[in-house]
Order: sequence, then structure tokens, then C-alpha cells
Amino acid sequence: MPAPLFYFFSLLMLIFGALVVICRNPVASALSLVVSFVGLAALFISLDAYFIGTIQILVYAGAVMVLFLFIIMLLDIRAEAGRKPNMLAVVGGIALAVIFLVQLGSVLSKNEMGNKTVADVPINYQTAAQVQKLDTIKADLQNSTLPDAKLVGQTLFNRYPFQIQLIGCLLLVGTVGVVLLSKREVN
Amino acid sequence: MNPLNIELGLGVLGLLLLLAEPFLSSSRKVLAYVAIAGLLVALLTLITSGGSMSVPATMQEFYIADALALFYKGVAIISTLAVIIISLEYAPVLNKFVAGDNARGKEAGLGEFVSLPLFVCVGMMVMASAKDLITIFVSLELVTVSFYVLVSFMRRSAMSLEAGVKYLILGALSTGLLVYGMAWVYGLTGQMSLDGIQKALVNWKGDNTPLLFGAALVLAGLGFKVAAVPFQIWVPDVYQGAPTPITAFLSVGSKAAGFAVLTRVVETFTAKGSVIGDQVIQLLLILAGATILVGNLSAIAQTNFKRLLGYSSIAHAGYLLLALACVHQHSLAIAPRNIVAFYLATYLPMTFLCFLVLSAAKAQGVGEDLKSLKGLGHKSPLLGLALTIALASLAGLPLTAGFMGKMFVIFAATYESNYLCLALAIIGAATGFYYYFKVILTIYSTPEVETEKIRLSVLSKVMLGVFVAAIIVIGVYPDAIQHVLVAAVK
Repeated sequence: MPAPLFYFFSLLMLIFGALVVICRNPVASALSLVVSFVGLAALFISLDAYFIGTIQILVYAGAVMVLFLFIIMLLDIRAEAGRKPNMLAVVGGIALAVIFLVQLGSVLSKNEMGNKTVADVPINYQTAAQVQKLDTIKADLQNSTLPDAKLVGQTLFNRYPFQIQLIGCLLLVGTVGVVLLSKREVN
Repeated sequence: MNPLNIELGLGVLGLLLLLAEPFLSSSRKVLAYVAIAGLLVALLTLITSGGSMSVPATMQEFYIADALALFYKGVAIISTLAVIIISLEYAPVLNKFVAGDNARGKEAGLGEFVSLPLFVCVGMMVMASAKDLITIFVSLELVTVSFYVLVSFMRRSAMSLEAGVKYLILGALSTGLLVYGMAWVYGLTGQMSLDGIQKALVNWKGDNTPLLFGAALVLAGLGFKVAAVPFQIWVPDVYQGAPTPITAFLSVGSKAAGFAVLTRVVETFTAKGSVIGDQVIQLLLILAGATILVGNLSAIAQTNFKRLLGYSSIAHAGYLLLALACVHQHSLAIAPRNIVAFYLATYLPMTFLCFLVLSAAKAQGVGEDLKSLKGLGHKSPLLGLALTIALASLAGLPLTAGFMGKMFVIFAATYESNYLCLALAIIGAATGFYYYFKVILTIYSTPEVETEKIRLSVLSKVMLGVFVAAIIVIGVYPDAIQHVLVAAVK
């Protein structure tokens, strides 16, 4: 991705990310988050992670955020009334954020990993193809295309099937909890 | 046999109980009895086939069934068992705050209240065995998300809901820190499994600041789960607001599982030759010292028994962290991971005893304030005696289990020459004697108003007897637990 595009999408993401917090109107906040997600998806795509970029738009910007909007509109949440901010909390929060930022900056400035770009480390498709067992992935790699969706699927269901089932349990618990806490009458 | 069979069995049992609930025509207590029977079978299977556990080759990358894992699996099952027995005592309170006014006398929500702990148990058992970042994260989340529901279970009680919201927000924050830290560690070392991370840490070339940053974030995330200072702020309110059986579960089960993960993670970070070993130990010592101090000193002023137990739980986390930080000592025959496991084994019966009494008292109309426990010792002498033994053990009176646990920690700190932490540990123990014995004094003092006698079900009485016996047996003959920990290694 050319540098100007990178800065454009990064700025888009950051500005709308900040707007999520700044906006008083919850619908505006949710819509800002959608735009911020689109910027993030563009950055993923610039890193050759097309699958994650697409998923980011389909799942987060599409499904999750629309659900958020639905709930906000369903519950008819109004814009938050202007409260007087607690000065101590504001100052403390800013101080903490600054400390964390300085810490992060000092860590990142010492690390050389950021000096490499994707262009510096080209994918060696032929070597990658040799270690793959699955035929479809192998064929894709030999044709020098990145089968990222297939690779993600293969890793998830061949390497981590046990963890997937645990997540299934987790979702079940979440569903039971939502029904239980929101049902009008429990008997 | 494959240790996963037990986890699978308990998960399926949880599902079946959820499915059976709508079709049940008799009392829902049947579900609780089925769950208790299932957990007993699981415990028996674990004990009888403990030595012959083997993990299938495809799972060895992220799952381990060593002595420590089996021990923590046992702790998870026993905790869940105790929680369900306590829930039976607590059922009237639960019904009152789950159902509306028109559903009095029913057993609203009891079915879910029994099956959700089984899923928590599965999560804790996987946590005990997890040895890669993904498994740790997924199992930890299974436990945490189940607790979000369980803590706010009494939906008509404002305090329970408040506790739920606080736990949800701080839990989400801690998860964020943990995942962020894991991302750093993975990004730097390129390894998901703890073994691989350990190798990478030993062979690390260059600046170690980024590694430390990741490790600190992981420790902070896990610090929330085990309630280490400064990540303990959620504890008092959540402990007070949550249904009492769940408070007990948080205090023992969740903490034990957290320490199982913390033990493996800390051992990875501080392995021999690790470039960040010394700094991580320093970090742990600071956490331990602060946790002991804050937990014990804040407990002094408490007038609510549940809150007091919350601060006590923080203080005990401090001792556990201190034991974990003593990785260098070679003079003591028992390794830090075993000291932690032993301490948790002693912590389990005494904490559950306190919460059992609290639940029974609450269900029969007695409040949770220390004041309302006045005269308990005269009205129900046996219950009073059990509570006295549990509190004495929490304080660390010799000849009780709590004494042996504290003694090992203090010995380890002495061999390690951590004199500052040692001093804090001793100050903390002395403070403990004050506030735990204050409760004992209260239960034997004369009440201003006549109170009803507190009755216990047969199951609770059995649990009471077993736990009191455990406190005394471990206190007199600590080898009993150590055999479990050491023998299984051979």
C-alpha cells in the first residue's frame, strides 16, 4: 500500500475511534465505530491479510455494529445529558494514558522489528507449498496465490478443534445467561 | 485413560441438566442431586485413574496432565461440589431474588444455577492443564463469562446486578490486558506454547524491554483473576453482591484455577537462563508485598462478614504470590509450585466452611453483618465450633491447616532472603489473628435480640464434617497433601 493511503486510513481509524468516545449521541458513536472498523479493515488488507480484512467488514462493521444500532434504537437511548466531569478522574485518566503512551513509545522505539515492511519479507510460495499437506492449499501456493481463508480454516479445525468446542460451551453459557437475566418471568 | 473424558462428561452433564429442566415435574433439587452424583463420579475417576492419565498425541502441544494439573482438576471438582451443596442451602434466597413476587415458594432459576457451575468446572479443569496461550485464554474466558452470569444471577437484587456490572467491566478490562500481553509475547517470540516461549526467552538476543512489557501485561491480566493488588478493586463489592455460593466459588475455585495458570506462566518467564527472569520475580514480589499489606489492613475495619472474607481472600492471594516468587530457593525440599498448591488445598476447606455458614444463615433470615452473627455459638454449638475452627485456620493457628500453609510460605521467603516481604507476611499474619478472632469473639458473645437456631441439611452436615476433618488432618499431618503432589510426579 502506498504511504499516503496508509496515512489516510490510519487517520480515518483514529479520528473516528476518538469520535466514538467524544460523541454524546449513541447512534453517532456507533456509526463512528463502523467507519473506524472500515479503516482498520483497509490496514489489514494492506498487510496482505485479505481474509481478516473482509471478515472485519462483514462481521464487525456489518453484523455486530448493526446489532448495536438495533439495540440502541430499540431501547431508545437518548443523547447523554451534559454532566460535569469529575476533574480528578479526568486528570488521573489523562495521566494514566500518558504514562502508558510513554511506556509504549519507549518499548517500540527500542524494537527494530518495526523497521521491516511487508515488502522486505516476501512470501516464498514454493517452500511454503512443500510443507503443506492439504492438496487445495498446496495448489494455491504453487500458483503463488495466498490461500489465507483456507489456511485459517485449516488451522482452526485441524490444530485447535478442542478450543473451538470450548468456545462453543462459552457461547452456550452466554446465551443461557442472556435469557435468564432478561426473561420477564422466571418460573 | 484420557483426562479429557472427565471434562467431556461434566460438560455433557451440564448440557443434559439444562435440557432436562423444562421437562421436570418434580422438585428442581433433583437436578442438584444429579450434579452432585456426577461430580462425585468424576472425582472418583480422577482419583482412581490419576496415575494412568495419558494425553493423545495431537493434544500434547497444548494440554498436559502432570501431577499439578491433576491436583488442580481435583480442586476444581471439589469446589464445584461444595458450591452446589451450598446452593441447595441458599435456594430460598435465590428464588426470592430471581422470581417475581407472584412466584413465591417455587425454585426459580435453580436449574441454571446448578448447571452453569458445571461449565465453570470444565473451564477450570482445562485451565489446570493448559500449556499454550490459546488454551489458557479460551478456558479462562469460559470461566469468566460463566461468572458474569452467575454473579448477577439474583436479578431482582440491586446489589447482585451492581456486582455483575462491576465484574463485567473490570473482567473485560483484565481480558483486554491479558490478550494484549499475549499478543506481545507471541509477536516477539513467535511461539504459542509455553515450552516454546521458554526456549525463546532463554535464547533471546538483544533488548528485553518489549518482552518485559508483554510479560507485565500478562501478569496484570492474571492479577485481576486472582485478586492481586492493585487489581483487587472489584473484590469487595463483587464478593458482597454476588450470591453467597458464587462468592465462595470465586474465592476458591476461580482463584485456584488462576493460580494454576499463573504457576505455569511464571515458571515459563522465570525459567533458568530466561532474560526477563529477575525482573519478573521483582514484579511478583512487589505485587505480593502490596497484596498482603492491603488485604490484611483493609480487613480490620470491616463490619460485613462477606466483605471481610473478600479482603481475607486478597490477603491469601498475597501469600500465594509470595510463594510463587521464591523460585531460587533450593534448601527447602518443596518447590514453589507445590507450596502454592498446598496452600490452596488448605485454603479450600476453611473458606467453604465460612461461606456455608453464611449461606445457611442468610437463607434462614440472619443477615451478613458481623453483628447479626452474635450468639451463633450458643444457639448452634456445632456450627459455631466449625466456624471457629475455620476462622482459626484462616488466621493460621498452629495445628490447623492454615498454619502449615503460612509456615511453608514464610520458610520459602526466609530461604530466599526476601526480608522485606517476610516482614510484611508476618505483619499480615499478626493482623489476621486480630480480625479473624474478632469474628470468633462475636459468634460467642450474647446477642441483643433472640435469634433462631440455624439448621443444616444432611448433605451440608456431611460437607461440614469432611471439611473440619480436613483442616485438622492437614494441620497435624501435612504429608497427606504433599504425598498427592509429590507421589504423582514419580
